[in-house]
Amino acid sequence: MKEQASPLVPLLAALPVCACMTILGLPALGNSNATAFRALFFAACMVWIVPLALLQRALWRRDVSWRITAPLLLAASYAMSVVNSLLGQRLEIGLGLATGYHWNELVRGLDGCWLPMIAFCAIHAVAVYYLSLQRAQLRLAQALAHARDTELRALRLQVNPHFLFNSLNAVSALVSAGAGRDANRMLASVADFLRATLAHDGRHEHALAEELALTDAYLDIEKARLGERLQLNMKAGPDLLDAAVPYLVLQPLAENAIRHGIAPLSAPGRLDIRVERAGAGLLIEVVNDGMRPDGATAADGSGSGNGSGIGLANVAERLRHLYGDAQSIEAGWRADGRFQVRLTLPLRRVAGATATTHRADPVTPAARIAA
Amino acid sequence: MSRPIRVAIVDDEPLARLVLRTRLAQRAGIELVAEYADGDSAAGGLAALRPDLVFVDIDMPGKTGLEVLAGLPRAARPMAILLTAHDGFALQAFALAAIDYLLKPVDDERFEEALERARRAFPYRCADVATPAATPATEWTRTFTVRIGNRIVLVDAADVERIEADGDYATLHAQGKTYLVRERLQALALRLDPALFQRVHRSSIVRLDRVVELRSLTNRDALLRLRDGTLLRASRTYMPALTQALAQRQPFIQPNSPSVI
Repeated sequence: MKEQASPLVPLLAALPVCACMTILGLPALGNSNATAFRALFFAACMVWIVPLALLQRALWRRDVSWRITAPLLLAASYAMSVVNSLLGQRLEIGLGLATGYHWNELVRGLDGCWLPMIAFCAIHAVAVYYLSLQRAQLRLAQALAHARDTELRALRLQVNPHFLFNSLNAVSALVSAGAGRDANRMLASVADFLRATLAHDGRHEHALAEELALTDAYLDIEKARLGERLQLNMKAGPDLLDAAVPYLVLQPLAENAIRHGIAPLSAPGRLDIRVERAGAGLLIEVVNDGMRPDGATAADGSGSGNGSGIGLANVAERLRHLYGDAQSIEAGWRADGRFQVRLTLPLRRVAGATATTHRADPVTPAARIAA
Repeated sequence: MSRPIRVAIVDDEPLARLVLRTRLAQRAGIELVAEYADGDSAAGGLAALRPDLVFVDIDMPGKTGLEVLAGLPRAARPMAILLTAHDGFALQAFALAAIDYLLKPVDDERFEEALERARRAFPYRCADVATPAATPATEWTRTFTVRIGNRIVLVDAADVERIEADGDYATLHAQGKTYLVRERLQALALRLDPALFQRVHRSSIVRLDRVVELRSLTNRDALLRLRDGTLLRASRTYMPALTQALAQRQPFIQPNSPSVI
């Protein structure tokens, strides 16, 4: 806990001690002699506090254990109190109250001086300890946030590469088959998807509209690959396009649905993506056809079946990091034999989004007439 | 018959020039007159040769494609189709009255569409070519003929909400049903009234009055939400036309406008 506290700290620690000494000295105000003694002790104590504080800091800096520090400070402050007492006797002589030094009385009545200095040392120690503890906690919190950030980044990057290689393979296959037109179409779609991901500025969240567009660009590629075998339906409720969602939250789910659900089917399969408002939250639902593995129960989302994979675990992990308990994700086979992933997030708008959305409300006269 | 369209290519990459050369070679009525590998030689060459149409890459060493075009006097400026791998130039491209703006890699449909735009603009841009006697396609398609098995079904264009490309065919979405049309999306786009329908993406055409939300994206594309919740991507190369068409629809849907009903 060796934090260097500011030089203000001993000053502030001395304040309550000064206040106590001043209050205790108030009844003596009428008596000029008593006031003089009090003033002397007060001034002397203030002066001693400086070397005392320096000594205390020096001991901390050297990491001296409290077993040595405590007796050392007690001894030092005791010695200072004795000097104070000596100064008091000198004042007595000066005021004509005594004729000489009483060496036998030198260590008597030291409490008025020693106790305030002990109190100062204690307050100083506690204050410095408290401050350094606070700073350490702040640093720990920063370190944790940083670690979380790094982890989130890593999780995000995990999503991309296999898709890229899949697409390159598909293009290569199209070229070999002499389907130049389809190969070109596919390449244009891949470029679209790459542009969408490259436009991202590195934040963990972006607008739902961006995520949907990115997912759609990805689905274009899959459509080119699977053709008739992939049927898509992507819908959203009104006024949600500005909602903040984690970057690449939907695309891996769509990829999962195709890779594990629709691609292994021999018949065409449908993928439904639906985004709705659910109370104060945002509900994202991805439902796909697929072959339910034997023995999978209706609520099986463990990832053991062919309906889920690394993408789902990745998304769940990131949601937990970003929203803690304010999110939920559930995955499993429905009674109708389709695989469903439902996730809810807190519904928030992305910052500064309103200016970019132009919306014709369906209940305005405009839309009524158009209908 | 009018003379062929004289075309020049400006691109610093040999492969990119090869693609354009190959694609242009298959077309009738197109004559490739020059190729330039950098902006500086293109600037001089284009001014001297005065082609009708030029394919210009934007990112080149030396002068960029936009600088080459901006450097030519307005009267001597050929019709331009701009190409780039990066985005962000669309607005400048339209400021220079480019015919089209293509993102590399370009698929065949999109390339044909750009060329078609140039062909249509050609008679008006060149004073020495007589304007065609009859402008084609003023009659917009009102019904689609769809073959379902042995049956032929007519789908009213007014019922069609959107059209989606499906390989070399197109799928009509009308009143919750889908119909496969044996025609390319690009061919359909030319036959539909632009006041009602707009091409928004290489793979989709949308009926304008179905659009209830338009959300611009950071990459200059946009996401459209239709009345039934369906989401559609609008590509940035179609955005200027789309926003213009939507803005022009505005008077129609003002409640107290006389043109309503």
